[in-house]
Amino acid sequence: MIAALGYIYSLFALSAIMIIGNLAIRIAGGKRLQFAFNLILPVLLLVNMGIIYAFGISGLFFGAFTINPFSLLFSGLFTLGLLTVTLIAFGYSDEYQDFAVIIAFALIGMYAVSMSSSLITIFLGLELSSIPMVFAVLLSRRGIEAAAKLFIMSSIAISVLSFAIVLLYGSSNSLALTSYPHSAVVAFAALLFIAALGFEASIFPFNVLIPDVYTGSSAYITGMLGGINKKVGFVALMQVLILVFITDSKLFLIVAALSVLTMFYGNIVALMQRNTKRMLAYSSISQAGYILIGIATATAAGIAASIFQIFSHMFIFIGMLGVVALLESRNRNGIDELIGLNGENRFAAFAMALFMLSLIGLPLTTGFVGKFLIFLSAVNSGLLWLAIIGILNSIISVLYYARAIMAMYTGKAGGNPIIMGKPLLAALILCVAVTIVFGIYPQPIIGLANSAAGYLISV
Amino acid sequence: MFAPIVLLPLVAAILAIAIFKRPQAAKYLAIAGSMIGLVLTLAVGYGSASIPWFSVGHYTISLSIAVTPLNYLLLFIVMLMGLIVMIYSAGYMDTLSEHRRYYIEMLSFQAAMATFAISGSFITLFIAWEFLSLTSYLLIGFWHSKERANRAARKALTIIFIGDLALLASMVIFWNIFGTLSFVRIIASVSSHVSADLTAGILLLLLAIFTKSAQFPFHEWLIDAMEGPTPVSAYLHSSTMVKAGVFAAILLYPLFSSAGLSDIMLVFGVVTAIISTLAASREYHVKRVIAYSTIQELSIMLVAVASGAIIAAIYFFFAQSFYKALLFFTSGVEMKSTDNEYLNEISGLRENKLVYLSTMFGVVSLAGFIPFSGFFANEGISISLLPNLAVYAVMSGISLLTSFYIFRWVSYGAKRSKNAYVSGNYRGQPKSMVYPMVLLAALTLASSAFVIYIGSFLNYGGYLAYLDIPGSLPSGIADGIVFLVLISIGAVLGYEVYYKNRIKMSADRLDPIIYTNPIINWAYLAVAAITYAAAEGISAFDAYLGDLFDRIGRVTVRSGYLVRRASVGDINTYAAMFIIGILALFAIFYYLVIL
Repeated sequence: MIAALGYIYSLFALSAIMIIGNLAIRIAGGKRLQFAFNLILPVLLLVNMGIIYAFGISGLFFGAFTINPFSLLFSGLFTLGLLTVTLIAFGYSDEYQDFAVIIAFALIGMYAVSMSSSLITIFLGLELSSIPMVFAVLLSRRGIEAAAKLFIMSSIAISVLSFAIVLLYGSSNSLALTSYPHSAVVAFAALLFIAALGFEASIFPFNVLIPDVYTGSSAYITGMLGGINKKVGFVALMQVLILVFITDSKLFLIVAALSVLTMFYGNIVALMQRNTKRMLAYSSISQAGYILIGIATATAAGIAASIFQIFSHMFIFIGMLGVVALLESRNRNGIDELIGLNGENRFAAFAMALFMLSLIGLPLTTGFVGKFLIFLSAVNSGLLWLAIIGILNSIISVLYYARAIMAMYTGKAGGNPIIMGKPLLAALILCVAVTIVFGIYPQPIIGLANSAAGYLISV
Repeated sequence: MFAPIVLLPLVAAILAIAIFKRPQAAKYLAIAGSMIGLVLTLAVGYGSASIPWFSVGHYTISLSIAVTPLNYLLLFIVMLMGLIVMIYSAGYMDTLSEHRRYYIEMLSFQAAMATFAISGSFITLFIAWEFLSLTSYLLIGFWHSKERANRAARKALTIIFIGDLALLASMVIFWNIFGTLSFVRIIASVSSHVSADLTAGILLLLLAIFTKSAQFPFHEWLIDAMEGPTPVSAYLHSSTMVKAGVFAAILLYPLFSSAGLSDIMLVFGVVTAIISTLAASREYHVKRVIAYSTIQELSIMLVAVASGAIIAAIYFFFAQSFYKALLFFTSGVEMKSTDNEYLNEISGLRENKLVYLSTMFGVVSLAGFIPFSGFFANEGISISLLPNLAVYAVMSGISLLTSFYIFRWVSYGAKRSKNAYVSGNYRGQPKSMVYPMVLLAALTLASSAFVIYIGSFLNYGGYLAYLDIPGSLPSGIADGIVFLVLISIGAVLGYEVYYKNRIKMSADRLDPIIYTNPIINWAYLAVAAITYAAAEGISAFDAYLGDLFDRIGRVTVRSGYLVRRASVGDINTYAAMFIIGILALFAIFYYLVIL
């Protein structure tokens, strides 16, 4: 137990070093040092988490943080995602150092959400992970409007969330993540939770500002928002819905209805988009709908499927935005910027096509496994209709993904080759590798997802 | 269970072509890979195997392969035709700079098709099915500087992907019903699971089959797919990929028969057969005639399956591969020799005796003359249709027209060419294109002998009993004579009208019936338009909402630059949506819980 505490302490120490170090280097050091620091420290954090996982350490620490397979999986996943985003962000040289400081804070917020043992930790963690993103959006000059919108909407969501927490506390004098005696007030709180966390997880109709924010910020910030921050929202949503409201079966019917709305909204509006980032924004909303299907089943298998889908979409989305970042570096950010990409950078076009095919559900990629697991879990929980609606939505998505792929491979553009920076290349290779390797051999991730889900649903 | 070993040489060849960047080497590597693959195919035995892929909860998803006689038949066709097509391509593809891409795509397709042929469960089938779609898309759009090729590829991709997702949906439903995706286990327990869900699943499976096998109303993509290189048409769009749908229908025959859905297959098959036969009689593009003919033969196979003439369907499935690919090869020779794609400009085929003779083997077999394989296939199906006289009458008429249009097709080519340059071209076709044609002509004749063995071949290990079908190919003298008389009339008609020009017949009179294509194209547009209209509507609604809240916003919010700027961009809409969302949740919840 002493050794266990040691590893936990070192995890917290590393997190603190992450923030302090970034601040110090921002003040005194250069860009390359900051970059190196932000590559090494996440790896150390990952190693530390791996050791904790390997030793099977779990429990409540400092009265506020639980360590278990669920929290470790997501902390690790977010760290890895952040590492990928860092590689992309390094190409934005004048914004990079500020970004590094901002995400150091956000990362700690994400850990807090993943490891939360009470509603108050979730609340604080969400604040800490979403408010820095307002500043991150502000980093690019044209992000002012998007940042203002994000700030205002986040404030509304946060206030609704705190109201929900207050309702629960008022009815039972507790902030724990356990089920509460059934009453009208608790039911009321549940709906407010869905609304507030639905905003964080980009669920219709609480998400409608997302395309504005995604298009208003630099590509790597969008990757961070859609690939990681929205997933933090899902982690909070899963914890609250499963741990607190699992007995309320009607609530999960509402979740199912919301997933249908979210999928249709995302896919149908995405059909109309000609701007790539907006299209990706709406497509990420539809993906949130798929993730919600797994949660709506309220079973361990469904949660595991959702976790796999979160994993899969995280790398796909960050990778896609990496390609967009490449285009942005050449000031191609308008209408139909993907046209003729294959003639300019073959690898970027290949990666983008792979990600899109994976989102459609091409077998031997993570996208297929994720969707398949989700539909399977829905069917096994008697939600056949939901699975069929999900597949129907995939059919709609074929139309706009196919259009984008065709544009990349057949359209004529300037034709001058675009050179890709090494860090960006590394990020894309990582995302492509994850998509293919765990598409062919998904068992390790499914195993992690299973144990995490089992922990969540059997607590 | 060593069946997947046939994939190894193909994958090795792909890697070799990718690594050695010399385009000259590509064709030899491809041919070598296919050849070793074919040799290994001969060593494959019957059996089945499965390895767990991933498991979730207490369910395990396995990758299963199975080699039954039927699977082996398709695997053999895929590998044999693969080799023949690769050799033909060596002569046909003359743009050296595109060789590596071409052979990598072709070998990938072959690998996907081989995997499809040995799939033992829905999950393996689906994986292969998706990669077939993808590689087919790449190969149709191979000449990607041609705008028409791109459009054709996109059309094919969209239609086929919709079919793929229908397959996924049916898979999910079958999982729900049977708790397994293995073919053997599904078929074993199908009779005890008849339900509305099963019917829905099978209908979705039928949708997937119709898209893949180009049946009405999804057949247009196969016609557009003729934009791809000719060897691609010969391989994908006649002898292998398009038959994937029919193959699935035969493989899962007990599923269709138990649910009583054979009639749907029959109706769509007959409709497709009528449309495509009429279109083939009227079409002037060299390859499209053969493409319509392929659609027609696929529909006849489905009609045969639906009528329970499974053995005849399987025999047709086998025999058709050779002469249909052969006729595509002929189209390739004609197009290359004359630089033209239309029937009235391609005369001169008789200059090359070897090619001409081989082509006639294909033509006569397709028309259905004895002793070619086409006769036994058509006759076996025709006699099985006798109990249903209406269908029998329609299909007999189609036999007559088939013989008519294929003789029409060859008559145009067989006329003497007045152009010495073209004649020289015909004579100078490379050996690598001519010999595969001779081989296919020989196979067309030789495969008729298989009619004697097909019953015992398929019945290995009680396979026919498992599929619940009778074990022999039916035949009847009287019916055979009627059939031969009909196709002779068709052949003479085609010969007299289009070769000798002794009978004048205005084909234009058939136009109102045949020109169904614009209607079908229009229907596609309508579907696309509906999808887009819905999206347009939602977006307009979105804009309207934004506008509305914007106006409210301008009145109420006037404090601070930041907020005012934000209000221009609909922040009020977003907040309003948020509130409306919460209110809607309450309404639903009230309805669900309190009422």
